[in-house]
Amino acid sequence: MDRMMQRRQFFTRCGLGLGQMALASLLAEAQSPNDPLAPKKPHFPAKAKRVIHLFMAGAPSHLDLFDPKPALAKLEGKPLPPSVIGGQRYAFIRPDAAVMGPRFKFQKCGKSGVELAAEVMPRLAEVVDDLCLIRSMRTDQFNHAPAQIFLNTGFSQPGRPSLGSWAVYGLGAETRDLPAFVVMSTGAGISGGSANWSSGFLPTVYAGVRLRSTGQPILNVASPRGIDARLQKESLDLVRTLNQKRLDQDGDPEIATRINAYEMAFRLQSSAPEFMDLKKESKETLDLYGCDLDKPSFARACLIARRLIERGVRFVNIYHEGWDAHSDLTGNHKNNCQATDQGSAALIKDLKRRGLLDDTLVIWGGEFGRTPMVETNAALGRSLGRDHHPQAFTMWLAGGGVKPGLVHGETDDLGFHVVKDPVHVHDLQATILHLLGFDHEKLTYRFQGRDFRLTDVHGKVVQALLA
Amino acid sequence: MSIWKIALFIIGFLPWMAYADDFFASKVRPILATYCFKCHGPDETTRKGKLRLDVREAALKPARSGSRAIVPGKPDESELVARIFTDEETEVMPPPSTKLTLTKEQKEILKQWIADGATYTEHWAFLPPKRVAPPSVLAGHWPRNPLDRFILARLERERLAPAPEADRLTLVRRLYLDLIGLPPTPDEADEFLRDTRPDAYERLVDRLLASPAYGERWARRWLDLARYADTNGYEKDRVRSIWPYRDWVIAALNADLPFDQFTIEQLAGDMLPGATLEQRIATGFHRNTMINEEGGIDPLEFRFHAMTDRVATTGTVWLGLTLGCAQCHTHKYDPITQREYYQLFAYLNNADEPELFLPDDRAVEKLKEIARLEEELPHRFSPEQEKQFQQWVEQARSTTARWTVLRPSALKGSLPLLTLQDDGSIFVTGDQSKSDTYELTFDTPLKNIAAIRLEVLPDDRLPGRGPGRVYYEGPQGDFFLSEFSAFADGEKVTFREASQSFASGNNKAKFTLDGDQQTGWSINGGQGKTHQAVYRLDKPRDVSQLRVQMLFEKYYAANLGRFRLWVTSDTSATAGEVPTELEPILLLDSEQRTPPQWALLRRHFALTSPHTKKLREPIDQLRKQLPAPKKTLVFVERPAENPRPTFVHHRGEFLEPTEPVTTGLPAILKPPAMPSTRLEFARWLVSPDNPLVGRVTVNRHWAAFFGTGLVATQQDFGLQGDLPSHPELLDWLALEFMERGWSVKQLHRLIVTSATYRQSSKVTPPLLARDPNNRLLARGPRVRLEAEVLRDLVLRSSGLLAMRLGGPSVFPPQPPEVTSEGAYGKLDWKVSPGADRYRRGLYTFMKRTAPFALFSTFDGPSGEVCLAKREVTNTPLQALSLLNDQTILEAAQAVGRQMIDDKADLNHRLKQLFRQILTRPPTDDEVELLRGFYLTQRHRFANKELDAAAVAGEGPGNVVERAAWTVTARVLWNLDETIVKR
Repeated sequence: MDRMMQRRQFFTRCGLGLGQMALASLLAEAQSPNDPLAPKKPHFPAKAKRVIHLFMAGAPSHLDLFDPKPALAKLEGKPLPPSVIGGQRYAFIRPDAAVMGPRFKFQKCGKSGVELAAEVMPRLAEVVDDLCLIRSMRTDQFNHAPAQIFLNTGFSQPGRPSLGSWAVYGLGAETRDLPAFVVMSTGAGISGGSANWSSGFLPTVYAGVRLRSTGQPILNVASPRGIDARLQKESLDLVRTLNQKRLDQDGDPEIATRINAYEMAFRLQSSAPEFMDLKKESKETLDLYGCDLDKPSFARACLIARRLIERGVRFVNIYHEGWDAHSDLTGNHKNNCQATDQGSAALIKDLKRRGLLDDTLVIWGGEFGRTPMVETNAALGRSLGRDHHPQAFTMWLAGGGVKPGLVHGETDDLGFHVVKDPVHVHDLQATILHLLGFDHEKLTYRFQGRDFRLTDVHGKVVQALLA
Repeated sequence: MSIWKIALFIIGFLPWMAYADDFFASKVRPILATYCFKCHGPDETTRKGKLRLDVREAALKPARSGSRAIVPGKPDESELVARIFTDEETEVMPPPSTKLTLTKEQKEILKQWIADGATYTEHWAFLPPKRVAPPSVLAGHWPRNPLDRFILARLERERLAPAPEADRLTLVRRLYLDLIGLPPTPDEADEFLRDTRPDAYERLVDRLLASPAYGERWARRWLDLARYADTNGYEKDRVRSIWPYRDWVIAALNADLPFDQFTIEQLAGDMLPGATLEQRIATGFHRNTMINEEGGIDPLEFRFHAMTDRVATTGTVWLGLTLGCAQCHTHKYDPITQREYYQLFAYLNNADEPELFLPDDRAVEKLKEIARLEEELPHRFSPEQEKQFQQWVEQARSTTARWTVLRPSALKGSLPLLTLQDDGSIFVTGDQSKSDTYELTFDTPLKNIAAIRLEVLPDDRLPGRGPGRVYYEGPQGDFFLSEFSAFADGEKVTFREASQSFASGNNKAKFTLDGDQQTGWSINGGQGKTHQAVYRLDKPRDVSQLRVQMLFEKYYAANLGRFRLWVTSDTSATAGEVPTELEPILLLDSEQRTPPQWALLRRHFALTSPHTKKLREPIDQLRKQLPAPKKTLVFVERPAENPRPTFVHHRGEFLEPTEPVTTGLPAILKPPAMPSTRLEFARWLVSPDNPLVGRVTVNRHWAAFFGTGLVATQQDFGLQGDLPSHPELLDWLALEFMERGWSVKQLHRLIVTSATYRQSSKVTPPLLARDPNNRLLARGPRVRLEAEVLRDLVLRSSGLLAMRLGGPSVFPPQPPEVTSEGAYGKLDWKVSPGADRYRRGLYTFMKRTAPFALFSTFDGPSGEVCLAKREVTNTPLQALSLLNDQTILEAAQAVGRQMIDDKADLNHRLKQLFRQILTRPPTDDEVELLRGFYLTQRHRFANKELDAAAVAGEGPGNVVERAAWTVTARVLWNLDETIVKR
């Protein structure tokens, strides 16, 4: 809704006299340059207006899902030549560990003929022509927390703003009924913690807001037990009246902002049950996602994400942590694919048929890849796993201005190093910002005497990915 | 709208007016810094065309081509002018690739400056503060102390008048909130109102400064800088114990420990001669860095990250400089080279980082009782137990071998430092990695060696009391011995078998002989105790030189912290349970043992034998009741023989150390004598030789009272920072602070007794247009309360607040999902029982990856980085918290319980409640509104339209009334006026 219009309605509802209204809107106007969530235009017209980032935390194996390496099967059981490994440090394995072949069958899929492990990702295989696969991702970090924080904030230590925060900082909010940046989590605990969606040194209004799958979806969004809608409304009315008196007395525009915030809080209280209510979805849609109405799952989070962006939410993160297959990679990845395959694919299909995919960017991937070498450690009870691997991994993008049906970049025969078109994490970040309409070098924030940006002093937009 | 623009225009010129006498500082350098220094500044590596513009001599030098960037007085001959005015894309500066363009006005400023002679002045913050006499003013009656003259002189220059003094109720509330972080009770406020003495206000100030609550209030602000938290951060985010440091801060502030001493103790308390326990606890300041416990990390890499955090934090807190910028390359704007950064790094880089176990008042009585019972036990054997004791002595004697302690002639650790102790044990300090080796050489000729014994010993200096040094990821105090090998005169010794007195699970000593690094011996579950492993040789042999090697390898650092080696010629020796110090006694003949020796044996039997288990039960019970050990994280300077080298790191990367550096201060700070140790560095930081510390410190305190500092960029006094709004006042305060013995309480007293502080905070439209951020201070401060103060206010005004000073952090109510759902290091948020549910906010347990929800909603810190200035946001989520949060509801219910005991009439009780929360009495209008609300809701509760019991919670008395009061109090805590200091 038009903000002026909203304000007018709001003040009308407040029952303010004309004089007061004039003062209030004068103050609110004076405020607007300071309103941190006012909608803003990006540097150039955006291809993507919103983002859904499916963060496969724990790091899925590119070698078993997206990047076919028949050579690995041939080398199975033998160590890699030291010339390949170089000085790389590992979390658990020794660099001379033996090679392990791919655990799943790869298959050419769709019209584009992109190869992936359709055996464990049958639904994703169906939408492969909508995906833009980057097989040449690289990162600097080989431990989970730093790598996740790095992918989100461009820096391996906590303290900098996340991608979602930068997006909202740059674009403002499309709706005031819901938070602009929402975070969900469906798997195990997330290594990087809240630093992943922190606003860092940006004001905290840009931080991701947790949407919880148990209890209240947003903390304190429900009134305490025994307080009905009327009581809540009357309480808020009284708060507003008393605050208004204070505003008339003290004249601080912050009071007007607070009155506004309470109005928004009230709207949030009524909109939260609405967007969480999946009963309004058709049976066909629920079947598409394969989710239960009330049981938390990744697929259900994907469906909620679609509902959120329909309602003007700018940036949604869904964390699915659990891909850290140090042992029994086969079992681990089967389970995780089972949990995420249908939801991810359904999201693409659903967005597409609603015409939302064109300007919604979907991102799928983990914080790094996994080693071609096997991880086995009797003392730790581990066998047939893979360790962390920062030199190469795969991510996919869809919608929002990226080329569909594309495979970008290549790794060597062992999937160890990138050999063609490397895409560093900072390049991906630059590209995502580009899709959102930003020159990543110009989207900056002055902190401690320096203009900080998501990509630090690095990052190049990967033109080849752009539609 | 146009008024707004004019306001911005005027405000934009404010600092320049203050610096009117310094055109370069106010107008020129900001342009050069923003547009030119990145390529033509201090950083040599990125300097373009060898042109340096931040130093005059360099800028005036002719280039090889002969052209000069700056020719003083001759803009037409100055290349700089030509290049900024040209339209040629290949020529113009800044180049189009930088995406920076100078405005016409900026170009003219540079041209004018060169025409005027291109004078450079040194950046104000690097010059010592200048003593300026407080200026004279027209309204001579207004100032209450010299500080006011600076403010007023400026206002008069701007043709503004200060606001009238705030009324006494506003003042008493403001003072309470500022000085002790709590609202006054109505009685406390009335006491001030009744005090008609002329110095009533000053008396109140002194009373508040002396309140223990003062230390709590101001500790929280310091803890933001110290990045204090109760967990380690990163993935695992496990609990740490460093709350004794937090309590030290509270006590230091309450005692008004002078800020110079306060600083020295926190940065280098361990190095002070005869350092007290308190001074060692204070070094926790730089132990508040995070520890990554993720499986498989390189601990030294994350220690490096902790070090960069220490340098950045030190820069922010004591220098107001963004030193972090020079980690990867020479600072682009401030004159600090990358090498100088690592020289500062070196000051802080020579400490070990152990835990310090502390005496615990809470445990004293129980420990005494335990000691008494242990003393008593050996005298309480039954005849049956007497017999069993004698049998044990005989049996133990028969299995005890004669062991000899080996004292190494040489000892070496890969990274760790091995030090021989008097008792022949080896104590380990220094750095550790995921793969550490020890090598010990024994040059004593040994006859007939049949077995080697490795005794591992606990020590209070080790994590979890040892014997191992595991401090992250694995079980604290454990170790993991992967391989044990010995060489007799160079030849590898073959062992027949290995036994141990204790092992965790299947991690037995025999696996230290199998050649597989993944298996080995560990003792988790037996921390804090002595254990042993015995390696029996395949056959006894004579050795003239014995060499022992140990390998500790795990996906976390797992080396031993204290151990001792023994040998025996007894071929049947195995690892036993008997402490080694009892062995010589056991080996004596019965009649040779003295009574004290017998007593030791009896005591050991009483405390360990299964036959005496029943006897020990009261002791075991008492032990279970002991609180968790009181301990804290500290710095301990390394011994001279084991200095930690510091290197410059290429691009700031841990893996790319280049040249070694030693300690030193950046040249720009012009130290008269170069400090060389951490202690000397700390002393320099708070000496008059540091031009920054006084200004940075008083500015931070100023901001705490007024919302914005005299320098708005509290964390940056460098070239990119803001200029001070009142430079002379800043210098005057800084000097005053230092000369008054660095007393923070005196500084606070000076500020709050000023007329400036006592002004009404009312915002008038003209003032709003003129100075929206109140930088000129033509009115009093008006700032939303900090998260913790806000919660404290709710609890205090409901009577729930439990005022207990210090102690371990507490867990007030919040939904358990906050620290469990989606958190890797899940924390079961078990709400504290009793009064701990309602302690002050600074005692709330701080989990870095999932901070206390109410506080983060109100811009509280996560403790991950040093925070000089909290954001103040105003959001719908804050509204939801105040409306619906559990704590607010419980406080409101407490009000409900109180109000029904009050027999006064409704209006009177409404007024009373209003004053409890807002200090001032309500207007008639406000009473009417509240009364209407109260009655409506009471009616709805009474006719069961609403569930009174659900709202009012448990408690005696009329539930309908309680419910109505509950919802009324809830409204009052949601008022802007309640949550704002005004």
